[in-house]
Amino acid sequence: MSAAEVSAADLAVAARPPRPARAPSTRFLRSELRLIFGRRRNQAGLGVLAAVPLVIAVAVRIANPEPGTGEGPDFFSSITGNGFFVALAALTVSLPLFLPLAVATIAGDSIAGEANAGTLRYLLTVPVHRTRALLVKFAAIVTFAVTATLLVAGVGLLAGLALFGGGPVTLLSGVQVGFGDGLLRLLAVCGYLAIGLCALGALGLFVSTLTEQPIGATIAVVILTVTSFVLDSIPQLSWLHPYLLTHWWMSFGDLLREPVFLPDLRLGLLSAGAYAVVFWTAAWARFAGRDITS
Amino acid sequence: MSGWSRRPALRWLVPGIVVALVVGGGAAANAIVASDEPDLPPRTAAELLADLHTVQVGALSGTVVQTADLGLPLPETGHPGDADLGGLWSGSNTLRVWYDGPDRARVALLGTLSQSDIIRNGRDLWIWNSSKQQASHRVLPEGFARDPGTPPVHPSMSPQEAADAALAAVDQTTEVRADGAVRVAGRDAYQLVISPRDESSLVESVRLAIDAEHGLPLRVQVFGGGPDPAFEVRFTQIGFERPDPEQFRFNPPPGTEVTEEDLWPSLPFELKPGAGAERPTVVGEGWTSVLVAELPDGLAPDGDGELAGLLAALPRVSGDWGSGRVVSGSLFSVLLTDDGRVLLGAVTPERLTEVAGE
Repeated sequence: MSAAEVSAADLAVAARPPRPARAPSTRFLRSELRLIFGRRRNQAGLGVLAAVPLVIAVAVRIANPEPGTGEGPDFFSSITGNGFFVALAALTVSLPLFLPLAVATIAGDSIAGEANAGTLRYLLTVPVHRTRALLVKFAAIVTFAVTATLLVAGVGLLAGLALFGGGPVTLLSGVQVGFGDGLLRLLAVCGYLAIGLCALGALGLFVSTLTEQPIGATIAVVILTVTSFVLDSIPQLSWLHPYLLTHWWMSFGDLLREPVFLPDLRLGLLSAGAYAVVFWTAAWARFAGRDITS
Repeated sequence: MSGWSRRPALRWLVPGIVVALVVGGGAAANAIVASDEPDLPPRTAAELLADLHTVQVGALSGTVVQTADLGLPLPETGHPGDADLGGLWSGSNTLRVWYDGPDRARVALLGTLSQSDIIRNGRDLWIWNSSKQQASHRVLPEGFARDPGTPPVHPSMSPQEAADAALAAVDQTTEVRADGAVRVAGRDAYQLVISPRDESSLVESVRLAIDAEHGLPLRVQVFGGGPDPAFEVRFTQIGFERPDPEQFRFNPPPGTEVTEEDLWPSLPFELKPGAGAERPTVVGEGWTSVLVAELPDGLAPDGDGELAGLLAALPRVSGDWGSGRVVSGSLFSVLLTDDGRVLLGAVTPERLTEVAGE
């Protein structure tokens, strides 16, 4: 059981005589990341994410539609002209389900998984403060969210460039910018989406402290995400939309206008920050005060 | 920390306080903006009206939000979030505008992951649609839109004369009054309320917020009887610096389907020109003018097809003028008569039936 190994490692640290105060060790975070990225199921999940841009690129290559017919979802019609758009198309397609699902799996597993495997008490027997444990768990979720987003974009970019070539990027405003400028914008898109997913990760962390069933936590987070998307598509509820977790995610398109349109992005970042702080502190209130029974 | 361990429930105060801060902070910010009534020297309604006629804005750029709730039982066109220039009559839309003199202007309608632009640069007029990757080009005639008609206010008039002239031009049909100052898009603005005197108009009042410095309307609200405006256009951000000339230069990017078009776009259906039918006429003038046209083929209520089915569900009206079906929204009424006419106006259905009988 890999989770137990970590606990054993930390126990070994704890056995040593106490040392004077030092810079916070990254050992806990590193072991946490090793756990996340070392697990077969998580690797498989990342593989699925990487497959999305590959499928898109190959499918468009085979179908070889006329460029500019406006057919298919957003960005698809631009792919044949510039492989750069495979990355954007893949992000757009993954955003409603695959990316949130991946983050929900990791976040739902973070506390509930340890509780379910019976390793949580070992983790907390060693002198790891519960607040620090939660911080490290969240840092690991953030790392995963960033990795997952970059993976989709990176694989999409490589597949797109290999199959369709690169070149100047046409923005939504009908203006062309250099490929380098396009890459910077793609990076900004990834950063923006990763921040939104981190807010979802904080929600998942909170749900994960409520249960000992990691799969239950994951399902709950996915249901909340889908519900948020559904509510966001009902025009009669427009008063509610700005408060929904997922409402601002699609605003990443504003980074692809010339000049960049900031108001909605700013609100999106504020909303993600608010969700992250609220649910991380809620997770802290729940986790730091609860009895660990398993 | 010891307090936490003795009373674990107290920990919930932390997320509670965070929620309160987030919600309260947002509400407080809104309340401050709303209650922040600027202190402006008073200006009469007539003076404000004259300001509108002598507005001097060399250049501007900003963001405009338009909302419409016309209350018409019409089907949605396209899917929401699509930047389609035809969708301006429903819901809410965000536009970015750049203006640099009468010859150079650009309006961009922002959709989710899409954008439509209208760009005028000299005699070139471009329309760009990002989701379809289409651009259409039109060439404007020499001196296009240079003559705004004869304004009732002339620059040589004194301010008082100008104000009187502006008021005299509308006073017959319209009541004009000034209202308290407001802040729109972070700028101080006067409010001018104009309301039609004719009772048969569906427009209750039009409320303008006029920039105190430049005399430019920053917000236009049209009220149709309800507490909320049926139609609103307002700047959410505005600056009067000269925009980057690049904004007005449009080169269709590679892969774009470019079409050269005539100046006037063709209507999606023909209004039967030349087929013995009259061209659309306007009956009455001002607030209560009514547009009368022949119904295009396939739209008659007794015809078949999807649209006809929709029309058949509308309430029937009849009188000594004949009979037909009526649609009434918060700002507009439409009457489709059984003899194939369509009457449209910002008036009550009763006024439409009156016109139909003439």
